[in-house]
This record gives sequence, structure tokens and C-alpha cells, in this order.
Amino acid sequence: MTLLEIRDIHTYYGKIHALKGISVTVDEGEIVTLIGGNGAGKTTTLNTISGITPAAEGQVILNGEDITSTRPHEIVMRGVVQSPEGRKVFTRLTVTENLEMGAFARSDVAGIKRDMDYVFDRFPRLLERRTQLGGTLSGGEQQMLAIGRALMGKPRILLLDEPSMGLAPMLVKQIFEVITYLNTENHTTILLVEQNARMALSIANRAYVLQSGAITHADSAEALQHDESIIEAYLGGH
Amino acid sequence: MTDSQSHDASPQPGTVDMITTSLLKNTLYNPLRLAGGLLIFLLVYVAVTNIASGNYTLEAFVRQSITGLAQGGIYALIALGYTLVYGILLMINFAHGEVFMAGAYVGFFAINAMEQSGMLADHTFLALLITLMVGVVASVTIALLLERIAYRPLRGAPRLVPLITAIGASITLQQLFLRLFGPDPRVYPRVNLYILPGIFKDLECAEVSGAQVCKGLDLIDGLYRVDVLGMNLRIRPVFFLVAFFAIVLMIALWFFVQRTKTGKAMRAVAEDKNAAALMGINVDRVIATTFVLGAALAGAGAVLFALYNQQVTPFMGFVPGIKAFTAAVLGGIGNIPGAMLGGFFLGIVESTGPALLGISSQLKDVIAFGLLVLILIFRPTGIFGEVLAEKKA
Amino acid sequence: MLRKIVLVMGVFAIAALGLSLVSAQDTMGSSVMVPPDGEIVIGVAAALSGEGLAPLGEDIVRGAQLANITRPTVKIGDVEFAVTLDPQDDTCAAEGGQAVANRYVSDERVVAVVGPMCSSACRAAGPIFDAAGYTSISPSCTAPDLTDGTFASFNRVVPTDAFQGVVDAEFVFNTLGLTRIATIHDGSPYGEGLVTVMAEAFIELGGEVVFQDAVNVGDTDFRALLDRVADADPELVFFVGFIAEGSRLASQRFDAGLDEVAFMGADGIFSPDFISTAGDAAEGVYVSSPTPSSEIYDAFVAAYVEEFGVEEPSGPYHANAADAYNVILNAIEAVGTVDDNGDLVIDRAALNEAIRATSDYEGLIGTITCEENGECASAAITIYQVVDGAFVLASETMQGE
Ligand SMILES: Nc1ncnc2c1ncn2[C@@H]1O[C@H](COP(=O)(O)OP(=O)(O)O)[C@@H](O)[C@H]1O
Ligand SMILES: [Mg+2]
Repeated sequence: MTLLEIRDIHTYYGKIHALKGISVTVDEGEIVTLIGGNGAGKTTTLNTISGITPAAEGQVILNGEDITSTRPHEIVMRGVVQSPEGRKVFTRLTVTENLEMGAFARSDVAGIKRDMDYVFDRFPRLLERRTQLGGTLSGGEQQMLAIGRALMGKPRILLLDEPSMGLAPMLVKQIFEVITYLNTENHTTILLVEQNARMALSIANRAYVLQSGAITHADSAEALQHDESIIEAYLGGH
Repeated sequence: MTDSQSHDASPQPGTVDMITTSLLKNTLYNPLRLAGGLLIFLLVYVAVTNIASGNYTLEAFVRQSITGLAQGGIYALIALGYTLVYGILLMINFAHGEVFMAGAYVGFFAINAMEQSGMLADHTFLALLITLMVGVVASVTIALLLERIAYRPLRGAPRLVPLITAIGASITLQQLFLRLFGPDPRVYPRVNLYILPGIFKDLECAEVSGAQVCKGLDLIDGLYRVDVLGMNLRIRPVFFLVAFFAIVLMIALWFFVQRTKTGKAMRAVAEDKNAAALMGINVDRVIATTFVLGAALAGAGAVLFALYNQQVTPFMGFVPGIKAFTAAVLGGIGNIPGAMLGGFFLGIVESTGPALLGISSQLKDVIAFGLLVLILIFRPTGIFGEVLAEKKA
Repeated sequence: MLRKIVLVMGVFAIAALGLSLVSAQDTMGSSVMVPPDGEIVIGVAAALSGEGLAPLGEDIVRGAQLANITRPTVKIGDVEFAVTLDPQDDTCAAEGGQAVANRYVSDERVVAVVGPMCSSACRAAGPIFDAAGYTSISPSCTAPDLTDGTFASFNRVVPTDAFQGVVDAEFVFNTLGLTRIATIHDGSPYGEGLVTVMAEAFIELGGEVVFQDAVNVGDTDFRALLDRVADADPELVFFVGFIAEGSRLASQRFDAGLDEVAFMGADGIFSPDFISTAGDAAEGVYVSSPTPSSEIYDAFVAAYVEEFGVEEPSGPYHANAADAYNVILNAIEAVGTVDDNGDLVIDRAALNEAIRATSDYEGLIGTITCEENGECASAAITIYQVVDGAFVLASETMQGE
């Protein structure tokens, strides 16, 4: 069943035409990945879904409902939660406060408590550092905090923008394990944006390839992993 | 202060000696700082001479500090609004002085009506509370309209644009009140609010049908001669009330920002609006809340101010607004305790400065702004601004 | 964005330059032409906005309006021309004086100006009126040096502060018998001028000025200053400025313990608004002011009260304004001519000369005779005191030479 669908969206930054008619569907329970080079429009796609840079044309449909011009915080309340590129941890808020902000739109105190315990359980490092300011965490810790913070929003669909960016290989592996776990154990639907195409394709069900604001390939992750042109362009040759 | 020391035969690193040397060096090699340092030296010299020659007494200092405390409390309450808005939008709301004015002005209509109806005399405390509420509501309304009409549409614009708009809004509000209510001052009634007759047994006594009745301390209009440590002081309790209010409200605000969910959201929005929106925070509402908080403090301050200064006019917000902005910058703009301390500091310096230096009172503004320049020379981020900058780094 | 702003400002600057060139070329030594069905326009420049200033300015406008109602036309031979007023705000400041003067000189229909109100504005307007060949009569600019010959266009129907200051000093020293005073002014040419004259005269009489200082217009808290005044232990505080600062000083002086010290001001606070604003603190305050001294003055005040529906005039200069209006009209009647088309022609230079040739005109403020330097008022100063919320006479009117 389709959970999220974007239909032929066009997004502009002033005169810059960043998305030139993109369509993506994400089914319930899937991991879908969006790969592409720098400046392809991946972040813009996620931000258009989240309402940060609303589409000028086209529609974003969540569970049959049009959310194209819904305001960002309301989109979050409907279960579309994004962990933004570059983590965007609040540097002057403590770890706990960051997590509380992730749950901002919720008011079920018991549920929030449970989810926070769950995040601390998944990421024991965060528990150790819960009174520390976000800005004092290492890159990997910040990424854990960013994902944990997104989980606090109780996502039906989690939008992850380059979670592996700038992390050591060990940490990258760990982050991808967490993503897989969230999908298989928590049944969270995931739309994953990555430059690390190899890793992304290895855990995704389906994938889209984005180039200069347009989709060039759309197929199962399996198929794309073996597509010559993809290997050439995004997987670092043979 | 690292390389300058390395080839220096100074004693162990980190000693007071070394820090002094480096400060001295920094000062000597930077012409601006050198000029600032010389000026400070001159000011201190003049002040010390004045004190030594007996032209300026401790008694005068204490007396002037007390009035400065009240004025500083008002500056502090206004400055908190500047600092809050700056903290979240990096924008100077130059119309904040008019938000203050609106509170005092609209509060006048409430207190005047209650004086006419006799309520002010019969239920003084309640009447004052209502006046305060009316003032706060008026300031908040104006601030919300400002934010909605003048600032929100410009949120994405370059920083110069909302700044100029704010100056325009300031003039517009002055003119609006001028046209609506005329240029003549409105005069708050004098209010007697008696408190604690049990403690102040011998104050405000009067013969009532043969019996001696003492009503206690008159908190608003009272003026008492008090001798402390051989100093002959004239105390107006209202001055301390204003200072007390400013401190309590600042602490309350600080707790709000640190501890409540909305306060945390304010800090999140201040740091990154898009990231905050992705948390499900309604950024527009949080920004509006910030304006509301600043305006509420200004409105409360305005009513207090009017209770002891009586006169309110459409222009009354301008000068205090500029001073409070100075106070906010002094304290390190964006910093809540800094704004309050900056306010008190400025109030006291303004009222003691001219006499201490033996110069015309007309120059008190020169002292205020001169001080600002001096402090910015040595601490470009204000007195408390450094802390923030360090944390960011 | 910044570039756009700079561009716009540049355009404005060029436009302003152009305008000033146009106005500079204007009508030097020219004349005004009023068509048969046209109106003679007289400017009235006074402070119409501004805390504690508007009541004084309004009073001037009303004085001129009342004079205009009483004498609405000018008769040249047997042709009548209607007179209309053009009141503008001079803000009681140099910038405002400059602005109104520029406005009047750019409107060729304006024949002459009653005003400006404050010495600061008069000083700023002077050169502009001079350059355009205009003439003006101020009902209230009292700074002594305005008539030192600098401005050809400046005339006044109010006594100079040189006289008022002496009367004030004599009143304090001789009548009140006080020898120690503190002086405060508001930094305006009027305030500083009058305080200086008064202090000099007071010292000459044998008195002592124990403290001198000034306040900033717009400030609200003068307690620290008053505390310094109290330390100097004067017997009287002499303040010259306007209602806003005057009423605050009067109110706040009790906080500084100046309860027993007399407070005296001048015409800048001679207004019922001073009493209503300062409230109880106004009680006992002395005020000196130029005084209308004519038989017809009382009837004029009665008409004022009736016409404008007020209890009393809102300032001291209504009579001066009316006299200024009438002196201008007399001068127009003296020099105006009607040409073949029926147009009224008034030569500006001749008009100014005619004003300065005014002699023995029986005005509201007394007999008006102008001197070569534009000084037209007979000097008459009276001192009042606030008693039970109203100004009552505290001295006989002092007549100058
Ligand atoms: N805030 C912005 N203003 C203007 N152009 C932008 C902005 N953000 C992104 N762009 C442009 O939009 C295009 C897509 O950017 P982005 O979505 O960030 O790409 P990606 O995430 O795939 O690297 C790029 O050409 C980029 O330069
Ligand atoms: Mg990106």
C-alpha cells in the first residue's frame, strides 16, 4: 500500500529550478533510497516533502491526503519526520532537550518517556551524555542524536538525509544497522537519501537515481546494484 | 595571547602577571583600545579627584544610585524584550520603545476610569492589578500586530530590511497615538497603596475620630526620610518595587526559557528555524510567543514607570527604548541576565555619572553611549556576550 | 538590496538639491500677485505636535484665527481681498523651522508668516526667508540675538528675553528676597538665552547662582539632577524650557527633598497644561511671561473662550499672534496696489519695510512701534504664581523703556 507519493513536483529557489518534475512513491514498510551526486536535488526533495521548500507545482500525497501546502510542523504531526542533512543537532540544547524537541508535537507523556528510554537503550552513548550540550558531542554521537530525535516524533515514515555523511566507516556500518533494525523490527517506513550509494542500495528495497533535478533511473535496489551505468557513475566503477 | 608570549621571558604561564602583561600589550598596540584605555584612566582620575576633594560624597552616591536603580529596572524590563527578539530573529525591534509606550498609555485609560469610579481608592491593589493587566495586554497586542504585519512578511529578507521597517513602525506608532490621543500628556493619578501596617507601625499616621491610626508603608506614592549610617536618604519604596519587579520577572523569564517546553522550543528556533520546524515546532507561533513575552515585560514596566512618573505621552517610549537597547548591547545582546544587568548598570551610571564626574546632567546620554563604545572596544560582544561566543566555538 | 536603498537615497538627495536650487532662485526682491477672486495667504508657523508644545502652538494658531475672523479681508482702495491662514508645524526645533520655512517659500502665494514659535525655529527659518525675500513676524521668539541685524526678514511682537531676564532677577532678589538660586534650561536657544540673562542680572544685583545645569528634551527622569540641585542648597530653582520638562522637574523635585525650595519658570510653561500635568506639584510655582496690556485684551480673551470652547487660552501668545496678523495686514494695506487686471500686487521688500515702519499701532499687547531691527513689542512682563490650580498675579506688570 502506498504511504507517500510525490507526483511530478517542481521546486524553485528563487529562479533556480531545483526539482524538475519528480515522482516517487514509498510503500508502507519499505526502505526506499534516493541516490545521486552533489547538488542533484536530494535534499530539496526531502524538504519539499517536509514543507520547508514547498513545491511550486505537483503534489505530495500522504496516505491519500494532499499535504503539498501543509505547514512543516503539521506535516511532522502527521508522522512524516525528517532527520536533516548535516544532523542539525541543537548545539545549545542538552541531549535530553534535543530529544524532547523531537517529541515537540506530542503530548502523551508516558509514550514520550517510553520512546526516550528506547532511544537511550538503542544508543547508550547518548544516555551517558544526556546532560551535555548537543554541540559538545562527536560527529557520530550527533548523528545518533539526530536519528534518536527523529524517532521521538513517532514517525510513520522517516526521511533520512545522508546519515552517513562525514562518519568513519565503523560508524557508518553501525548507523545502517540501526536503519535496518528500525525498518524490520519497528516497521518504520524509510526514505533514505544517500551519497554512499553502495551502502544505501544494500539495505533498500527500491531506489531512485536523481540527477540535476530529474529522475534518471527507478528500479529495485537489487537491479540497480547490477546496472552498468549506475556502477559506473555512483558505485565507483568495478 | 599565545604567540605574543612564546618568545617572552615571562614567568610560569597562566600567572596573573602574564595575563596582565598580555592585556597591557593588547591595549598598547591597538590604537582604539589605547584611546579607550586613556579615556577610562581620565574618567577614573576625574572621579577620584572629585571624591577626594569632597565634592562627591558617599551619601550623594547612595541617593543617586537609588533613583538609578528604578530607572535601571525600567531599562532592564525593556531590554529583555530587545534581547529576546534579537536572540531568536537576529533583529533589532526598534519599535519596542513604542510597545512600552502603548502599555503605559492604554493603562492610563484603565486607571483613570477606576479613579473616576472610586475603585482606585476603595480597592487600590485590585485596581493596580487591573491597570497592570491592561497595560500588559495593550503592549502584547501592539507587539503581535507588529510581528504579524511588519516583520513576518520580511522574515526571509536581508537583515537591513526588517531593521528599517522597525524604525518605520516606531514612527508610525508614535504618530498613530499622537493622532488618536493628541500630544498632551496624560497624567496618572497619584496612588497610595499602604502595606504592612504591622511592620511599619509609625508611618502614614492620622487622627481618625480621636484615635491614632497608622496605615503602614505607602508603596507607590510614599517618600520617607531615612537615616542610615549617618546618611540622610530619601527613600521612595516604589523605586525598590520597580527593581524588585525587574529582577523577579527576569528570573521568571530565565526559568521559562530554560525549563518549559516552549522555552526550549524558543532556544531551538533561535538556533535553527528549519531544524526546529522539522521537530514539529510551529516556528511562527514560537516567534510570536517571543514577542509576547518581551511585550508583556515592557507593558508591566510601563505601568510601573507611569505610576511614579505620572506623565505618559506618545513619545515617552523613544528615549527609554534607545537606552534599553544600549543596555541590552552592554549586557551582550541575546543574553537574558546580561540584559537585566546592563539595564541596572546603565541606570545607575546615568544617575551617578554626571555628579561623580562633576559635569552637566545634559551629558548623561553621552556617558551612557560613551560607556557603550568603551565596553564594545574591550568586549565586542558585551559584558556577558563572550560566554555565548565561547560556547558556540 | 543595499544598492537599491543607496540608489533611492541618491535620487532623494538629487531631488532635494534641485528643490533647494529652485527655491533659492525664487522671488528675490519679487512681489506677490493675488487675482481678484483669490486669497491672501498668511502662514502661521507654530508647534502643532510635540509633548507639552502643542498647547502653546495651538494658542498661537487660535490667536491668528480669531484675528482672521475679526478682520477677514484686506481693502485696497475699494477692492476687498479675502485673507486665509496656512498653519504649519514648526515642531519648536531648528529642523522644523527649516522645514516650514522651505515650505512657505516654495508656495509663492504665501504673503507673510506669523511665526515661527520658538527661537530655535526662528533662527533656522531666518536665512531661508531672507533668501526668498519673505517677511515674518514672530509672536513668541524671544532670544535676544534674533534682532541683532542678522535677519532682514525677522520681526517680532514679543519683548526680548534681555528684558524678561532682568525682570525675573529683580523679582527673585527684591520681591521674594532670595539670594541663592539654581538655574536649569532645556538646551534650547530660548532656554539658554533667558537663563543666561537672568543669571547675569541676578549676580549683578548681589545674588548668587549656586548651581547651573541643563536637561535633555525628551528625558523623563530628572531625579539625579535635582539631587545635585538639592546638594547646592538653593532657595529657588529657575527653569526655562517647556511644559514637558518643566512639569517633570516640578513633580520630581519633591523626591529630591526640594519641598521648601521655590520653583520658577517662564512663558514656556505659562499654560493651563502645565498646571494639569504637574498637578499638585504646580502649586506655588512662579512664572514670568510677556503680558498683553491693553484695554481691548479682555474682550479678545472672552471671544477666544467663546470661539474655541475652552475655559482659558492654552498658552501665552494668542494676543501676540493676533497682533502679528494685524501688523501684517496693515502693511499689506499700506503697500498693496491693484493693477489693471484687478490683481492685488504686493512687493515683498516693501511689505517688510512697511512692517518695520509700524508706529503707534494699538494692539492687544499694547502700543506697537517697530524699530529698524524688527523689534516691535513694547516690553511688558508680569509674574504669576500658581495658587489653587490657577495662575494669579504675583507682581505688577513691569514696563520696559
Ligand atoms: N537554499 C538554496 N538556495 C539556492 N539554491 C539552492 C539552495 N539549496 C539548494 N540549492 C540548489 O538546488 C540544487 C539542489 O540542491 P540539493 O537539494 O541540496 O542537492 P543534494 O542534496 O542532492 O546535494 C543545487 O543546484 C543547489 O545549488
Ligand atoms: Mg543534500
